[in-house]
Amino acid sequence: MAHQGSMEMEGVVRESLPNTLFRVELSNGGLVLCHLSGKMRMNFIKILPGDKVRVEMTPYDKEKGRITFRLK
Amino acid sequence: MIKIKSKEEIKIMQHSGHILAETLWEVLKHVKPGVSEIELDALAEKLIREKGGEPGFQKVTGYRHATCISVNDIVVHGIPTNYVLKEGDIIGIDCGVFYKGFHTDMAQTIRVGNAASKAQNDEIDRFLEAGKKALEAGIAQATLGNHVGDISRAMQTVIEAQNGYSVVRSLVGHGVGRDLHEDPEIPGYLMGRIEKSPLLREGMVIAIEIIYNQGSPEIVFANRDGWTLKTADSSLAGLFERSLAITKDGPLIITQ
Repeated sequence: MAHQGSMEMEGVVRESLPNTLFRVELSNGGLVLCHLSGKMRMNFIKILPGDKVRVEMTPYDKEKGRITFRLK
Repeated sequence: MIKIKSKEEIKIMQHSGHILAETLWEVLKHVKPGVSEIELDALAEKLIREKGGEPGFQKVTGYRHATCISVNDIVVHGIPTNYVLKEGDIIGIDCGVFYKGFHTDMAQTIRVGNAASKAQNDEIDRFLEAGKKALEAGIAQATLGNHVGDISRAMQTVIEAQNGYSVVRSLVGHGVGRDLHEDPEIPGYLMGRIEKSPLLREGMVIAIEIIYNQGSPEIVFANRDGWTLKTADSSLAGLFERSLAITKDGPLIITQ
């Protein structure tokens, strides 16, 4: 059975929650709960509200995402 | 996380793949005008159970059939209905088998009977041939040391550059094992740099699928069932898939 692929979207961090969770407003308008990806944690990359980030999302759950990159 | 399978687990999956391959080729032999989708699905389920397996798709939440039957402009996840096949249709049958804890996944698309003219037959055959060649090219890239991106690029080149069709962007191949869909995702088109895509290692078992349209790559939901996807411009859609293991001696096709 074919699997729906995950897609990358860009957004702006609106608020930071405990345990490296962030609420991100995506470029298409939706507000999504995102967590920080492991690679970013390992390299101690900080994310603050107002940062533009790249988010990886799965089509199977539109409310959750993973922050994979902080854009300048 | 990409799960590596041991040699014994790969042997079990080969058995699962063999049941699947025999079932699918047998069901394809029964494809002719006048047969309905639901008959083919019932036949597939019967054959799978006779050979000692279980229909893998019934383990997917909300799905009750053994196969996905996608006719003409339906891309994937076609729920078998009472639709009766006509001359000149193309039918894509996607099937999965669950055996001793492991899934395997396989799909093939063929033409039903003959279309209205030889020109139309030739066009359909050219469309299907492109998919078969793309799948072969993708499988040839599934060797140790390559990346998933190599497989994607090979398939995309055959479909888009060499034949002018388009690869569906939102559907991907996948790893297969104890779950029907596992990591990594294997898109049919190259997304980003090849070195950034997952590295293929020995013991990985993947289902490479090429899902492509005759016209534009956009797909939409066909109706309200929440499953069936069809091409946005109602052009034909093709689907070919094999499950294979990555080994030291190259790709080992499990579904045969």
